[in-house]
Parts: sequence; structure tokens; C-alpha cells
Amino acid sequence: MRLTKYFLPFLLVLTFSILAGCTSSEQEKGKIASKAKTEEKMITVGWPLDAGPLNPHTYLPNQMTAQAMVYESLVEYNDDGTITPKLAESWDISEDKTAYTFHLRTDVKYSDGTAFNADNVIRNFDAVLANRDMHSWMGMVNHIVEVVKVDDSTIRLQLDEPYYPVLNELAFVRPFRFLGNNGFPEGDLTQDSIKAAIGTGPWVLTDYKKDEYALFSRNENYWGEKPLVDKIKVKIIPDSDSISLAFENEELDLIYGRGIISLDNYTYLKDSGKYQTATSEPLSTKALLFNTQSGPLAELNVRQAIQYAINKEQMVDSITHGTEKVANTLFWDAIPYANIDLAPILYNPEKAQKLLDEAGWTLQKGEKIRSKNGQPLTLDLIYIATDAIQKPMAELMQGELAKIGVQLNIEGADVMVGLQKLMDDQVDINFWRTNGPPTDPHSFANESATPNASGVYEAKLGLPNAKEIDTKIHQLLVGTDEEERVQLYTDILSMFHDQALFYPISYETNNVIYQPYMKDLAPRASEYDIPYAQMNKEN
Amino acid sequence: MYESTWIFCLKRIFTLPFVLFGVSILTFVFIRFVPVEPAEVILRLARVAPTTEAIEALREELGTDKPFILQYLLWVKGVVQLDFGTSFVSKLPVAQELLAKLPATIELAITAFVLILALSIPLGIISALYKHSIIDKIIRFFTVMSVSLPTFWLGFILLYLFSLKFGIFPTNGKGTLAHLVLPAFTLALPTIGLFVQIIRSAIIEELQQPYVKYAQLRGLKNSVILIRHVWRNAAIPLTTLLGMTLGNLLGGAVIVEQVFSWPGLGRYLIESIINRDYPVVQCYVLMIAFIYVLANLGTDVLHRLLDPHLMMKDRRD
Repeated sequence: MRLTKYFLPFLLVLTFSILAGCTSSEQEKGKIASKAKTEEKMITVGWPLDAGPLNPHTYLPNQMTAQAMVYESLVEYNDDGTITPKLAESWDISEDKTAYTFHLRTDVKYSDGTAFNADNVIRNFDAVLANRDMHSWMGMVNHIVEVVKVDDSTIRLQLDEPYYPVLNELAFVRPFRFLGNNGFPEGDLTQDSIKAAIGTGPWVLTDYKKDEYALFSRNENYWGEKPLVDKIKVKIIPDSDSISLAFENEELDLIYGRGIISLDNYTYLKDSGKYQTATSEPLSTKALLFNTQSGPLAELNVRQAIQYAINKEQMVDSITHGTEKVANTLFWDAIPYANIDLAPILYNPEKAQKLLDEAGWTLQKGEKIRSKNGQPLTLDLIYIATDAIQKPMAELMQGELAKIGVQLNIEGADVMVGLQKLMDDQVDINFWRTNGPPTDPHSFANESATPNASGVYEAKLGLPNAKEIDTKIHQLLVGTDEEERVQLYTDILSMFHDQALFYPISYETNNVIYQPYMKDLAPRASEYDIPYAQMNKEN
Repeated sequence: MYESTWIFCLKRIFTLPFVLFGVSILTFVFIRFVPVEPAEVILRLARVAPTTEAIEALREELGTDKPFILQYLLWVKGVVQLDFGTSFVSKLPVAQELLAKLPATIELAITAFVLILALSIPLGIISALYKHSIIDKIIRFFTVMSVSLPTFWLGFILLYLFSLKFGIFPTNGKGTLAHLVLPAFTLALPTIGLFVQIIRSAIIEELQQPYVKYAQLRGLKNSVILIRHVWRNAAIPLTTLLGMTLGNLLGGAVIVEQVFSWPGLGRYLIESIINRDYPVVQCYVLMIAFIYVLANLGTDVLHRLLDPHLMMKDRRD
């Protein structure tokens, strides 16, 4: 026990030396480090999840935003819904719309200097198609018969039947993006792992510490316009409040994306007047999905009454602080085929009451909840417990519906629990969102007509015209006539709208907030494509 | 004396497999109670609307299509051969992933542990020696506060003050000593509060023992009495708590790691629960249980060595 005598002084000395050591290491601080006087320009951003193994052909844990920095697609989808050349400089579509011939760019090199050519493209397609089940969510995968080389810079994609959204799906961030030959593992089993992240994109991964950061440097072999800064450092910060603190502490140059920080924090930073902000065009739609399989929501009047009863304008404005636009239709106008004239359902609580009365859901004397044949009008809604927007919206809607005699029970749950329960017909209402470009609206159509985890197929089972919708969707996906397709989309979207299956709430956007020394930033309406190459900062 | 301690250790180590078995079966069952299964979650989180074929294919690949008992037996078979399975998400061996993240968590836990000892012992002693004085009141005010503050809130307050306002420490990441201070302190603070209170009352109680009066009468210096006699007796109950504390710090770093972006086990666990990455969660719980049992055993041994009464009791038994 002699030790005790020395223990205490020892610990005290240790503690003070640790504390002293810390204050002296102030130079390590990001604030100073990020302003270091180096010739190199680096932009530092925060992201909640690790970049992952940067495998272009697989999904989780790969981050789409990181994959998009390194790998490119044959064609590009633009914010206005048009498709333009990328690694393919042009393409021809056969008359029967089953063969797509792509003419590849000949000036493209991978980041390791190796050539991008037809052989390499075929090798990538083969690696992806070796794992068809995994990619079957992408309609095109189920239609590809073969991909063949025509010459060194031309390939042909052969389908079994026409499938019009081929180009949109090719533009998506995965799995049809291209890995250099030196990146392929033995046996080309890219679904398991890759040897190295070699792409044609503007950035190359040069330093990486899992769960800490990923450092991307400019690809000096890049065929397109070279990035304006030398490096992009993506710091992994899982907590959204910590991201906004790091930004405020000048450890980050910008925060970019949808839901990266809470809208409260966004507004707080914006209102401080110290930073600049920008908002993209809408990319996806936040909505409620009504389960029509059983219960009161099987009735159109009830579905419509709910939509009339909620003051959506006020709800979206107060909860999203104006960063999201009110949505009156399921898709934003710039989404292909979605710019159609649909009469919006506007706030009108009297009409809501009238609709319920007509449907026989009446308010008995002394009661606060409407009922029909002794059955009270109660509905269950599940929101994602950790979602900073869904919860207050659910609470607000609960209050609004109480005013017209509808009891809304709300419950917070883990991601996806609500959707699963809706498909199993155990819950009435769930929050839902569209996929966004480049796969909308055809992926929406696809998902609505086949049972899968999007929930729409199950939710619409109670609609009188569910079968008709399914038939039209099939027609439009395999149809070859553009005019007919426009008409079919108009029909389908109108039917969904008239049946009030969805309650569109708001259009979600990418929000960007950046330090004053960053040059003007224009965010894109894409979930994964962050325009780092066009970003710049003052010295 | 040594013999009985050895037997004591052996007995405890013998129970270890049973504890781990119990823990593993509970984890195995509970993680499967979490709604929505891994195949679907993984596809959903990848932002694809999974088709039935894709879910079936992934389920088969992950092995979650097999009956529960078979899944458990296969897992146990692996564990016995020190194969803890591969992560559903990263497809890397789970043990390798967890061991890669363990050092960061241990670094945080040990630093917090040192802070706890370094701060709570002097504060507890001062508080006891000057009981009811203004110093005692200030210390007690802070200890009550530190035990009652929620960790994430405390973390953000510290970040706000020491990063944003005073600009002393960075807000996130790992690498230098400066990165370590705030997370370690946040992790340590609630336990410091608890320990100060325990040490304070233990010392006050010891000071009232007749031997203290006797020693004073013998003319021993107060500092000698305090360190050699009072502190030694008061510290014995503390040793039991120390083992628990180390385990708690390892397991309790979850929130701290999240707030300070510390790349340790806790953060990995949260991510794995969200992803329904069963093998990771199972291995994590098993590993923490193992560390807990060992830490407790270590404390018990230390406790026996420090407190001869316990050994005597064993001999009488």
C-alpha cells in the first residue's frame, strides 16, 4: 500500500500535464489548419456516413455521393429532365426500340492512365449482370439480353422488349458505372469487392481513414473540364448537430444536401447573416401514403376529407422554414411526363366535414370523434422517430384532424417499420417519398404495379381502378409510341390524384450553406451528384 | 492465501462460458425482435425499392432464410472456432472490424478513467475534510449537476463553450490530444460526480472511527492518518465500483462517440443496429460481456487483496 502515497500526486501531475498538453496543441485546430497558407486549395465538407469501399457496382455501405465523384455513366441526366452525352458521345436506338448502340468517347482515360474502351465497358456490364437479382429493382436489368462490342469504341445493348427508360437508368449512380481494368478483382466478382477504386470521374481517392475522413484529389487524367480546387476532404460526422457546430467553427467550408443538418440549424445559421445559402430545384416529394386495403381509408371521401382538413401551406412553411415548397401534386413539374394540369386540393375544413357527413361518418351529440355504424373514425399514422420534420408534421396533422372529428393516433418508429406495417395492413397512413431523378416517374410506375417494398402496390389494393392502373403502367413501360406514353402517364397520374391515394406535402430540396470565402454555389437537384468540380474558394 | 484467490479466480472463469452463452442467446433473440429484416433494410437503405426476388436472393446470401435454431447453431459453431461471422453490410469479418475500432474506444475509456481518478479522489477528499464549508458546497453543487446532465446535452454545451466560444478544442475527429479532451471529459463527468459523493461519505464515515482518534492521540500527523489509514479503508468499497466503471465507460461511449464523431465501437454499433447487421451486434455484445466479466473479476481479486477480511471469511467457510 506504499503506492497510495504516490498515487495521488502522480495522478494530479498526469491530469495537469494532459490539460497543459491540450492547450498547447491549439495549432491543430481545424480553424487554423483549414486556413493554412498552402498553395493547394482544399474544400472540406461534412457527411454523416463513411464513403465506403467505393465499389461502383454495389450499394450499401457505398455512399452515392462518393461513388459519383469517382465513377461516371454513359449518359447524364440534367435537372431539367433532359439526357445528354457523358462517356458515350452519342447513341442510336433501333426502330423496334430494343437495341441501343452507344458510341463511346475516345479521349477518356481512367485515373490510372489506362484506356476506356468497348472491352472495358462490356467487362463492367458483365460484372453487373452476373448479379441480376440484386439489381432487379432497375427495370432495365430484367430486359437486357446481351451487351456486345461492335468495335473498339462502340457497344450495343440488346433488350428482349422495348423499355423506354433505358437512358434514365443508365444515368443513375449505380450499378452501371465503369471501373478501370486494374480495379477488377480476380474472377471479376465485383459484387464482393474491388481491387482499387479506379474511375474516369473528376476525382480520385487519395487518402482514406474509415469513419474519419476520405480525401479526394483532382484526377489529372480527367477528360472533361478539370475541377477548380485541388482537393475535397469529406469528414465523417455522424451527428447532424455536430456537423453544424463544425461548420460554425469554420472546420467545414460548406454543408450540402438534403437533411444533412436539421432545418432548425439551417435556419439558425442562415439567420446569423454570416453565411451564404442556396436551395436547389425540388428533387423529391414528401407525401402521405394512404392504405386503402381496409378501414375508413378504403373510402374516397375520407381520403379527400383529410386532405381538405389540413392547412398544408402553414404546416410546410412553419416546419421547414420555407426551405421546402408546398406540393399539390405528387411530382414536381420538371419531372418528365409530370407537368400535367391537376386540380389541387386546397385547405377547406368545411368541405372536409361535408365529405365525411356525406359518407355517413357523423358526429353524435356530445362526441368529439365521428363514427359510422358504431365504428369511431380513428386512424393510425407512423412516422420515423428520428426525423426532425415528420414528427412535428404528424403532431400538427393530429391537431387539424381533431377539429373535424377524426382521431389520428401517431407513433414514432424506426426507419421502414411504418412501411412494413402498411404493407401488412396494420397501419392506415405512412410518410412516403418519391425516388427523385433520374428514375422518376418510371420507377414510381414500376413500383406501383408490382409488389415490393415501396408499399404503393399494397396501399392501392382497395382502389376501384387498381387493376386498370396496373394495366396502363405495363403498357407505358413497354410501349414505343411517345405520344401514347404521354397520354398514359397523364391518365395514371390523374387517376392517382383523383383517388387521393397520396397526400402530397412538400417538394424536398438540396440546401447548401457555405462560408463567405466560397465562390457562388449552385446546388443541383440530385440526390448524389454534388458539383464539387465547379466549386471554388478565394485564397 | 494465494491458493484461495486462485481457486476463486478459476471458479469465476469457469462460469464465463455460461454467462456468454446466456448473453449470446438473449442478443440473438432480441435483435430479431427489431421489426423489418436485414435483407429488406439493406436494400432500402441503398435507396432501391427491393423486389421480392432481390430480397429472397439477399436473404439466402445472408443466411437469414434459415430457421432460427439453425442460424444460432451455425453461429455458435463459428464462434467456437473464433469465427464471428461476416458483416451483412461491409462483407468483412466482424471480429476484424470490431478489433479495428476497439483501440479508439479503449483510448477514450482509459482517458476518461484516468480523469475520473485524478479528479474525483482529490475533490472527494477535500469535500470530506471541509464538510459543510463553502468549498464543500461548491463541489457538491457541481457533482449533483454532473450526475444529472444528459450526456449528449453536456457534450454539446462543452463543444459550444470550448470549441466555438473559446476556440480551444476542435469539434470533431480524432488524432491529437486536443481531439481527446472534450469527449473523454464528457464521458467521465457523470462518474466523477458519483465518485466524489461516494468518496466524500466514505471518508466522513472513516473519520468518525475510533482508530482515527487513537492515531491522533498517538501523535501521528493528520496527513499520515489520512493517507495511510483513512484513505486506505475508504478506498476498499471504491475498488468494486472501478471495475464496473471501466465496463460502463466502454459500453457507454456510444453517445459520446456520436456527438464528437469519435470513430469507435459505439458509433459502429448504432450504425449496425440501424442496418440490422446481426453478426456485428452479436459479436459486439459478446465482446462487451466478456470485458465486463473480466473487469469484474479483476476488481473482485483486487478487492480481496486489499481487504483481508474477505479472505478470512473464505477460510472460515
